[in-house]
Amino acid sequence: MAFPSVRALTGVSISFEEGEVHAVVGENGAGKSTLMKILGGVQKPTAGTVLVDGKPVALGGVRDAQKHGIVMIHQELNLVDELTISENVFLGHELTKAGLLDRAKMSELTEGFLQQVHATYSPQQKVGELSIAGKQLVEIAKALALNASVLIMDEPTAVLSEPEAESLFELIGKLRAKGTTVLYISHRLPEVCAICDRVTVLRDGAFVATVQAKAATPSELAGLMVGRPLSEFFPPKSSSPEAAPILELDNIGGATLTVRPGEILGLAGLVGAGRTELAEAVIGIRPIGEGSIKIDGKPCRIRSPKEAMKHGIAYVSEDRKHLGLHLSLNVIENVTMANLRSYGEVVINQKSERESAETWKSDLDIRAGSLTEETVYLSGGNQQKISIAKWLEIKPRIIILDEPTRGVDVGAKREMYNLIQKLASEGMACIVISSELPEIIGLCHRTVVMRDGKIVGELKGEELNEEAVMHLAAGVAAA
Amino acid sequence: MKRNNILTEYGALLALVILFVINVITRKGNFLQIENLRNLVSQNAAVGIIAVGMTLVIISGGIDLSVGSMTAMCGAAGILLVNKFASSGMSPNMAILLAVLGGILIGAFSGFVNGFIIAYGRVAAFVVTLGGLAGFRSIALVLGNGGEIRSTVPALQDFGFGGIPIPFVKNAGGGSVDFYWSALIFVLVAIGAGFVLNRTRFGRYVIAVGANQRVAEYSAINVQTVKLAVYTILGGLVGLASVLVGARMNSVGTGSVGLYYELDAIAAVVIGGTSLRGGKGRIWGTVVGVLLLTLIANMLTAFSIDTNWQGLVRGIVILAAVLIQRGRKDND
Repeated sequence: MAFPSVRALTGVSISFEEGEVHAVVGENGAGKSTLMKILGGVQKPTAGTVLVDGKPVALGGVRDAQKHGIVMIHQELNLVDELTISENVFLGHELTKAGLLDRAKMSELTEGFLQQVHATYSPQQKVGELSIAGKQLVEIAKALALNASVLIMDEPTAVLSEPEAESLFELIGKLRAKGTTVLYISHRLPEVCAICDRVTVLRDGAFVATVQAKAATPSELAGLMVGRPLSEFFPPKSSSPEAAPILELDNIGGATLTVRPGEILGLAGLVGAGRTELAEAVIGIRPIGEGSIKIDGKPCRIRSPKEAMKHGIAYVSEDRKHLGLHLSLNVIENVTMANLRSYGEVVINQKSERESAETWKSDLDIRAGSLTEETVYLSGGNQQKISIAKWLEIKPRIIILDEPTRGVDVGAKREMYNLIQKLASEGMACIVISSELPEIIGLCHRTVVMRDGKIVGELKGEELNEEAVMHLAAGVAAA
Repeated sequence: MKRNNILTEYGALLALVILFVINVITRKGNFLQIENLRNLVSQNAAVGIIAVGMTLVIISGGIDLSVGSMTAMCGAAGILLVNKFASSGMSPNMAILLAVLGGILIGAFSGFVNGFIIAYGRVAAFVVTLGGLAGFRSIALVLGNGGEIRSTVPALQDFGFGGIPIPFVKNAGGGSVDFYWSALIFVLVAIGAGFVLNRTRFGRYVIAVGANQRVAEYSAINVQTVKLAVYTILGGLVGLASVLVGARMNSVGTGSVGLYYELDAIAAVVIGGTSLRGGKGRIWGTVVGVLLLTLIANMLTAFSIDTNWQGLVRGIVILAAVLIQRGRKDND
């Protein structure tokens, strides 16, 4: 499949065996998603063939792929929130009796599939009421209903908490024992090494190697992915700044914290701990309730993102696709969107707009065929860079980065860490919301941990380690 | 994912050119006369002006079904204003100018009301403007007592058929050929709207709101203001168009003027390649859409096809346009 300006995949041959958990890893833009889309029948290859049980098959659509037992679970789950679990599981292949829907039968079968994935939901429950982890289980149940022999999972753990991920791994183990082949795409290399049988590494749309997962280490895989050894993953930390706080939050939904200029403050916690909600309250998307916000020691009211921007606060959302970027607009339009006023009160100076975008493209190494390319066609890492450029455009004094490396590959992650350090060293206050503990530990001067909307602890220096953070986040006393 | 497919991108323009050529050939050159071209642009200038405003509304992710009824209401008010100003001793030209401004203001206010309820009351645009469709027509009927409102100022119709002479062009009798004011205004409105959409900050915000309202909100764009503005602008353009219609006919039939304008305007926008889902669109496409619909109607008449069939042909053209252009955005 030829993308508008970048050839996504060339001459890659891989075989997947029955009952194998096979990971496909690579940087963003390495061609993983394209490979999976071809197998899932979503995209047609411009050349090459797919063989199932040794016979060439034409995968003209999702249904074709399903007929051959290949079922894909997308990163953005494809469920209808308004329908029940049972209706979702049988969506598109409903069972009928005398021409009418056989609800009882479907419900009964769904119950069985849910048991197989260890979910305790009722088949009658609406999918919209489930957590993301729950929805993922429904997706897997749906695959079971389709009698999948090959299950493609795209970044399944990206949105899961650690215990949720653990139970997913257990389930994958069970599927493997039943003879199901699982194609596993993930950026999280330690889990790839732990749960997979073999790993195939792609780079720039080409095959690099297939290795035994158990024999490989995450850093070896990372090395294969970027084509060079990754020595120090996190840049060395600068000393903690001492300046007076630039931002003070007092009792915002129960959370109180301060951040200083030049400081990288981690905001840790489990999914649903209220970190994103806190950030949204700071930029005026949510009401701050009884609490108050001070900037430079002076109280201020922020009722909209516009007012937040006037105070120099930028928020880079975790949800690039729905809150961060206009995917149907091009690179230039996205980069200048929040700062458009500086390109003209009424008429936009398109020349200087383009020049700015050029500068960001080279500064942040944004890889796009052209600046007028719609951002929907870019990889996650490049979209993330554009999101950040969009907010650096307003020259913020405080930047809140929500899961800045989610869905971003190893190489781009490192660039992101370097960038955050550079911003801090220039005096920007950086608040990093992250569910990846190594990131919190390796990057932040100081970390506050949230649980149920409240700050439950603050860690810095020596006391900042994964165990301490997890204890606070999960609400169990340290051993 | 061919994004530059000529058929999907320029299908409507291509159709317009082909039909135009057919016209020229079958009518043995008569059609190429400047007067015919002028008539093509003028004939539906009012719908064209409205369709240009409708393009902005649709790009912002909205819709306005009330424009036809609003045309009747503003047109009725416009004629009443002309009559009143003229009878109070004002010069006819001044009276017409004030009536045009009055029509624009009334239209803009009506659009403002629509937009206010949509943006701040957070009611679906379809529902709000469906209410407007019923309500504005009702006000028009009340103004005209259920019938026609006639102008008492002869200068109004002179304005309706007046214009500026097209240079170097003479008609068969050797007189000058005027480019009608209505057509001129249509062209200027389209150029202006194209500039606003593609070159100004406001235009970019309209696209941003239509493409993804929440991202726009997070990007510190005042989404409500943008919505309010597009409906107000459309209302103002409807007011302008309504007075031009009234001037042309020297009267406004309150029950019949503007009937189905909302459908014609939306059809032109869609044929022109603007997505009904918002976030993407083009003014020139809408202009092509208006001309295409006009040309088709003219040809059907020229070939003496029963007018009762015209609606069907129009419907097929709209469907064909959407089908051909569907590939443009969806096939990611």
